[in-house]
Amino acid sequence: MEDRKYSDGLDDLSGRYLTFYIDEVIYSLPLGHIIEIINMQHITHIPGVPHYVKGIVNLRGKVVPVSDVRLKFGQPERPHDDKTCIIVTTINDMQVGLIVDSVAEVVTLDKNQMAAPPKAGKRMGESYLDSIATLNDKVILNIDCTKFFQADMAELFVHEN
Amino acid sequence: MSAIDPGMEALLETFVYESNTMLEQLDEILLDSERAQNISHENIDSIFRIMHTVKGSAAMMGFSAISSLGHAVEDVFFIVRETPDKLTKVFSDLFDLVFQSSDFLKREVERVTSPNYEEGDPSALVERLHHLAAVMKGQSPLEETASSAAAKSAAAGSDMANADELHKIRVFFEDDSQMENMRAFMLLTQLANCCDILESVPAHPESDSSLCADIIKNGFLIMCRPLDSLSDVIKIIENSLNIKSYEIIHDEEASFQAAESADASEGKGETSEAKTSAAAAGASGKTAAAGSKQSLISVNQAKLDMLMDLVGEIVTAESMVASNPDLKGLKLDNFTKSVRELRKLTDELQDVVMSIRMVPLTGTFQKMNRIVRDMTKKLDKKVELVTFGGETEVDKTINDTIADPFMHMIRNAIDHAIESPEERLALGKPEAGTITLNARNAGGEILIDVADDGRGLDTEKILIKARNNGLLTKPESEYTDKEIFQMIMLPGFSTNAEVTEYSGRGVGMDVVRKNIEKVGGSISIHSVKKEGTTFTIKIPLTLAIVDGMNISVGDTVFTLPITSIKQSFNITDPSQVLHNTDGTEMILLRGECYPIIRLHDHFNISTERTQVMEGIMIQVESGNSIACLFADELLGEYQVVVKPFPTFFNKYNLKGHGLSGCSILGDGSISLILDVGNLMNLS
Repeated sequence: MEDRKYSDGLDDLSGRYLTFYIDEVIYSLPLGHIIEIINMQHITHIPGVPHYVKGIVNLRGKVVPVSDVRLKFGQPERPHDDKTCIIVTTINDMQVGLIVDSVAEVVTLDKNQMAAPPKAGKRMGESYLDSIATLNDKVILNIDCTKFFQADMAELFVHEN
Repeated sequence: MSAIDPGMEALLETFVYESNTMLEQLDEILLDSERAQNISHENIDSIFRIMHTVKGSAAMMGFSAISSLGHAVEDVFFIVRETPDKLTKVFSDLFDLVFQSSDFLKREVERVTSPNYEEGDPSALVERLHHLAAVMKGQSPLEETASSAAAKSAAAGSDMANADELHKIRVFFEDDSQMENMRAFMLLTQLANCCDILESVPAHPESDSSLCADIIKNGFLIMCRPLDSLSDVIKIIENSLNIKSYEIIHDEEASFQAAESADASEGKGETSEAKTSAAAAGASGKTAAAGSKQSLISVNQAKLDMLMDLVGEIVTAESMVASNPDLKGLKLDNFTKSVRELRKLTDELQDVVMSIRMVPLTGTFQKMNRIVRDMTKKLDKKVELVTFGGETEVDKTINDTIADPFMHMIRNAIDHAIESPEERLALGKPEAGTITLNARNAGGEILIDVADDGRGLDTEKILIKARNNGLLTKPESEYTDKEIFQMIMLPGFSTNAEVTEYSGRGVGMDVVRKNIEKVGGSISIHSVKKEGTTFTIKIPLTLAIVDGMNISVGDTVFTLPITSIKQSFNITDPSQVLHNTDGTEMILLRGECYPIIRLHDHFNISTERTQVMEGIMIQVESGNSIACLFADELLGEYQVVVKPFPTFFNKYNLKGHGLSGCSILGDGSISLILDVGNLMNLS
């Protein structure tokens, strides 16, 4: 019984997602990749990086890079307000902060609530999607963290050449 | 296969560390001896001792591959010690074999920590060692094993006749060896293989740890009837770790005691004993020297890193307090005094922590000897390695990072650069090539030359190769020699047509450069055709904390290392700035002309101060070049803790943009640390 309880505790994270807004669109990230949510703070700009990489922040003595999800999705920049915040994520032991318009809630999504994204999409944002889910008549776009950053790397590689 | 008992993990760490140190020592001795074409008595004893300790601890950890090979090497050196005159017959064979064995052991030791460790098979090496031993004895392999065993058991030889009787042996463990009951149990388990009757007092030592006291006081009594001979039993006891002494209790005779010294202070007795009779050999040779008791301790590097980080935090916190904005404009004499005191102490603390992390380059240089030896043998070239400045100290992290690049460069040098002896003689060069490693301090940096007197870099070949690989970015005629040399460090470049065992995978120099840049170093190449090539590596003395001048540009704060600043000044008259024909700006200072680098332009930062009169000029120097940086204002001198950029930025080559890292300032904001050398190269 004891063991069972522990494994449930771990499984808990796997079906759960943090949803956030970019404009009126709801996106979500798997909870397992998320470390914390912090308020907007002063970002030190780094020269020579793509425009959506806003710079670095000091997260309790740790230097963490910050990307703007809006810009990454090819949407226009928007002034930050008091709802704008940074979701600190971890992928491959690398911490990256993501600037989003606002954070909504943590939801539990079932596999059968999700649909695969269309294969023939042309806009770049779609290539980061893992699946599309519907919950209470709302559409949630689930972002695949690995794709989100891998595409980033691949894109850079092309730039370098 | 042999999953490590969780309780053994702490021991395992010590085992790996000790064995590695010992094996390195072994290599050193072997190299020295091979060069001298002779092994001194002390060295034979050292080798013996090393192999014995490695073997013993491996046996205790249950690594039979390591212990059996260690045993075979030990056997060979036993014969060497007994009959040094036989050595000349097999000298080079012996060394090759022992080197191979040492490699095997190193590999095994490295692997034991991996979770799914499977023991390698040393039997081929063991076989050859046995054969060698036989050759030295002038006997066939089979006979030799028997006689070697006989020689070893000479001490106990007289007991052989009584093999059928029940022998009583009392074993005493070393003081402070701890867990005596477990050690006793382990001994019993080992003995179980060669005895058909085996009893002990106390009977089940493993069952109760309170028996320790008893074992310490009265010793551990073993009663056994050996399958073969008592000597086997004694051998096992002698080979066990942490046994201080043992005595064989004869029914009528007075007990004779073969005290085993495990203390190095008794090492002297051991050597003299070694020279005497075979009777003594059985016991003395088995001495496990626990290493001389110096006041040195080995510390887990992670702890040192943590300490370093903490000191970094303290330095930051200290500036945070001392230059706290709340204190602005207040007159605080006593506070200032205390802050100065604190500053002094943190400086000292920092120096001490730094010095802890400093290690001399000797170790790394030593390892190169081994590579040179192996490669020259394989490739049939003659190469001598000359090292200078091995006592130069660098940060441990740097030391670890540069070992691989060195290895690559030396392999490259031997493989590609140094010609074959015939070729060299034909060219009028000495038959043996020379590779020089020269380390020296230069200000806050360390320069290390890796020089060879080989054929030098062939610019034409490099160009052709670069063209074939599509690495050229401008017409070939426009490349200077220096630029061409740099090409060999581009990814995917390899001049050797054939891939050899040692080099030529086309990743070599690229990896070398990357590794050196990782620790904030740089590498330059100088080469003269037919005369040789010199790689000069420049690495910072330490990574962690620099004295820096903070300057602001717009709302970005940069930190300039103080060592690179020559002076700063204001421009009072815009006409001081001259314009080059290509539009770049220059300034005339005391009759010399220097380029101006506008930081806001270079980093594309918006600022209101774009007129030269409004900001400040900072004259900086790196290597031989000098330039003037234009910034908004100086913010003051701080000690900053260098933090590398997050790995996320690896792709963007920030170093190439003139940034070497970042640092967290007293107010929690981040400054970017400028790399003056790269900054100037760019402009």
